[in-house]
Amino acid sequence: MSDTPAVLLRLPDGTTFEGPVVDLRGVDADIPSAAIRDAIRTGCPTRPDRPTVHAPLPTRVHRHVCRLTPGVSVDRHAALAAVGAARGVDTPHCTDLAGVKQSLREVSVPTVDDADLRAARRRAAEAGSTTERLRERVATLRGRVEARRGDGTESRDDALAEAEASLSEATRELSEASTERVAATQRLAALEDRARQARDTREERLRLEDRAENLRRARRGARADAVESAFHDARGRIESALDGLPGGLDDGVTADDVLRDALAIAAIAPLRAPVVVDPDVATALGGPDATADRLDAPLVIG
Amino acid sequence: MLLVVTYSRRARETLRNVCRSHEETVVRRFGRAALLRETEYGAFLACRLRERHAGDVQVERTEPFNEFADAPDSVREAAVDYAQRDSPHTPYGRFAAGTDHPDADDMRGSEL
Repeated sequence: MSDTPAVLLRLPDGTTFEGPVVDLRGVDADIPSAAIRDAIRTGCPTRPDRPTVHAPLPTRVHRHVCRLTPGVSVDRHAALAAVGAARGVDTPHCTDLAGVKQSLREVSVPTVDDADLRAARRRAAEAGSTTERLRERVATLRGRVEARRGDGTESRDDALAEAEASLSEATRELSEASTERVAATQRLAALEDRARQARDTREERLRLEDRAENLRRARRGARADAVESAFHDARGRIESALDGLPGGLDDGVTADDVLRDALAIAAIAPLRAPVVVDPDVATALGGPDATADRLDAPLVIG
Repeated sequence: MLLVVTYSRRARETLRNVCRSHEETVVRRFGRAALLRETEYGAFLACRLRERHAGDVQVERTEPFNEFADAPDSVREAAVDYAQRDSPHTPYGRFAAGTDHPDADDMRGSEL
């Protein structure tokens, strides 16, 4: 095995294990392998009741193949893309993406305060309905003044004066409301104009974000393609290793296709952080050391 | 109708979900925009989108365009004559030159 980094595993009870291969078979501690996997992913420090793993930090590949056990699920394309990234596969999309990301950083959307805009919409709407209400009231009062003027009774003068006073009060209110309406409309128009200009920038940002996403997808594709043949070679070796061993996995557990894929992916990935391997899988591959050689990675068997 | 246009990936995704779940209220969908029926429910959906994505959502209220009421006669007539021109390759500028039809730049600079 080529300079595989050492792993130091500390269990909650204080027991420590060291080495490129940590074998937890027969260890009298009930540590679920998922807890080990989480410890590898999180690094230090962890809670006192959890195991701790001191090892190089995991790469993106670990998201896909951190624990190799029957029934594991792997998104092969995404995992191979992660392997490509970990191997430093350069694609033409990388430069384009860097450019797009730079452009995205330079995009600054002009600030239009949404609360201001909302307040302006509310104010314009209220000013509009107030004006309409007062306009109707002025029309009604004007009708009443006309009626009083045509009225020949004795109370005519008082009633007319009262109606005229109401009309003049309402007219004054209407004039104020109209002024407010004009101001509110202008304010709203100005803010909407700014929002419209900001939308051009938002549109540009959205276009760049879409472009970045397309480039990321293309980059994932290119990276996965770049390691595809290495993957198939490794898959073949895993296949013959498993099939060449008598019995394969014990107890009726079979190394299904997905697990074989996962093993091949782990084998071609430059792994410095440990992976957790199911004891049966390790046995099927010829034991812990043989498995570590095949995967060229530090292991925790458990 | 209510025209809703989105300007971010998340707002677009929400609009997509809204359109999927409320087909009865969606008149048309165009990528990151949609026309909603002018019902209270259409307004409810538009308000929800605006509430959630603020400036990344534009909501406009549309109405049918009546060229007899909304555009000057000269503009409407220029469009009719230009559509019926004899030579299909004549650009509008050349077509309008020396006629009573309005100049394209003048039209661009005039609000309706």
